Amino acid sequence: MKTLDRIDRALAKVEGWLIIALLWAMVVLTFVQVVFRSLYTHGHFHWANEMLGSLDWSGPLVQLMVLWLTFLGSSLLTREGKHIKIDLFGTLLPPKWLPVRGFILALVSVFIIGIMVKVCIDYVIMEMEFGGESLFYLPSWVGQMILPIGFTLLFFRFLIKAIHQGTQMIRGFFK
Amino acid sequence: MILTMVIVLILCIILGLPLFVGILAAAMLGFLTTDVPFGAIPIEIFRLANTPILLAIPLFTFAGYLLAQGGTSARLVKFSRSLFGWIPGGLGVVALVSCAFFTAITGATGITIIALGGLLFPALISDNYSEDFSLGLMTTSGSLGLHFPPSLPIILYGFISGVSIEQLFMAGLLPGTLMVGILCLYSVYMGRKWRTTQPAFSGHAFWSALKEAAWELPIPILILGGIYSGFCTATEAAALTVGYVLLIKTVVFRELNIFSDLPEIMKESMQMVGGIMIILGAALAFTNYLVDAFIPMKILAFMEGMVETKIGFLMALNIFLILVGCMMDIFSAILVVVPLIVPLADRFGVDPVHLGIIFLANLAIGYNTPPVGLNLFIASSRFDQPVVRLYRATLPFLLLLLFTLLLITYWPGLSLFLPHLLTS
Repeated sequence: MKTLDRIDRALAKVEGWLIIALLWAMVVLTFVQVVFRSLYTHGHFHWANEMLGSLDWSGPLVQLMVLWLTFLGSSLLTREGKHIKIDLFGTLLPPKWLPVRGFILALVSVFIIGIMVKVCIDYVIMEMEFGGESLFYLPSWVGQMILPIGFTLLFFRFLIKAIHQGTQMIRGFFK
Repeated sequence: MILTMVIVLILCIILGLPLFVGILAAAMLGFLTTDVPFGAIPIEIFRLANTPILLAIPLFTFAGYLLAQGGTSARLVKFSRSLFGWIPGGLGVVALVSCAFFTAITGATGITIIALGGLLFPALISDNYSEDFSLGLMTTSGSLGLHFPPSLPIILYGFISGVSIEQLFMAGLLPGTLMVGILCLYSVYMGRKWRTTQPAFSGHAFWSALKEAAWELPIPILILGGIYSGFCTATEAAALTVGYVLLIKTVVFRELNIFSDLPEIMKESMQMVGGIMIILGAALAFTNYLVDAFIPMKILAFMEGMVETKIGFLMALNIFLILVGCMMDIFSAILVVVPLIVPLADRFGVDPVHLGIIFLANLAIGYNTPPVGLNLFIASSRFDQPVVRLYRATLPFLLLLLFTLLLITYWPGLSLFLPHLLTS
């Protein structure tokens, strides 16, 4: 339990740093791109077009960052239990039943996301065999690694949640 | 077997299963019935990394969260107070206009009530506006301004339905103004009835408020202008907006420190993005199933016997969407429902741009509709009031908004006039 919580905290820190680094990179790269493009199309500076040409990798890279930020943000959101949901019974259920509900829902999430982890690993393996080249002459599966990694992060977070809610539920019953 | 699982899943979703898990599970169940391998799901999710327009979502959200911090809201309120404060019921107008504007520049990410409520509500009360009126006003104003650029719901609708986002931004201007305008008239009417006292217009106060807000006020105009003059695309506008907002917040106003404040705002805004985009990924997979299994055609065949005309379809659509808007937040509602509705609307000859505007208006109203409209709960916790009281307080506003909804739905010209003007 304690070790798990420690890993959870350390992971959240790393995720936070990654988000900050990626978002800065995204902001700077997109901004620079727009500036060069407008200098070229509206100001007709040819050097701007050359700069743009040497930045041609940044477009796909920034788009890949969108997916990274999605999963990192989503993982932190899971940690805080703030995912978007429909909650019709939150106020109706007696408080005693809340851990039971939390436990069941976390288990369902663990199960579904577990399937996703497996499916995404298969997807990357498939791409290793048949995929081509993409960014920076790297094989295309490297970019797709975010899917299994992202779902594994989510899997871990929901697992911790299930354990927490489960112990709370058991304690509640024995009180 | 499948049917039992579907029932269990629906039960879990109503109980509060994270929506993206629910949608992923639904996609899996769907693929099981149509014998499609689950490998289709990651392919769909990876599309998030192949769509340039989606870049606008993290960027605009980040800009919105930056604007929500510090003095922007106070400057906007001060400005609109100096502009509208002298009208009878003027403070109500001030509240409505600043909320709508704030919702627009923060991309409608649901932070309006939280950011502006604490500023405007006490002001309304101390100016002798009735408490019910003030509560109702603040609650409903949280969902105004959804139609104005750079609204994220509009970007998402455009992406899912394949309609040009530039046209949608244009189409939303008049209907959005109508929704704000009608509520403003109501506030003026009530203000006259109560004989509220208000300060006289002061050119001096107006000028100083204008100077203070001069950095933030032009943001929507710059975005719209940039896009329509062909200077930049919607995604590029997002990048420029972030750069501009960073500049004014850190250098001009010195409200935010790059090293001590920004990291937290970045994390918070990306959590919001993660919450929306993961549902978007799941919804893409689910939509893939819907299309594979011809579900929209089946709904169409089912409706054929009951709904014959365009008017009938639009009426059914209004009622259905208000129900959806009650239960779901605006982002998930768009992601899940739009793929189903667009083919139907096409069959009944509803313009997809007009449909988008109807969609947003409906969802905005659904937000405030008892018993489960989300805004009611946000306001209930923000203003520390029982939800039932908010039901009553929002009722007059809700009725007025429903009236504008009818206008927006059955008068396509209102939405389509500006985009047509632009293309011709």
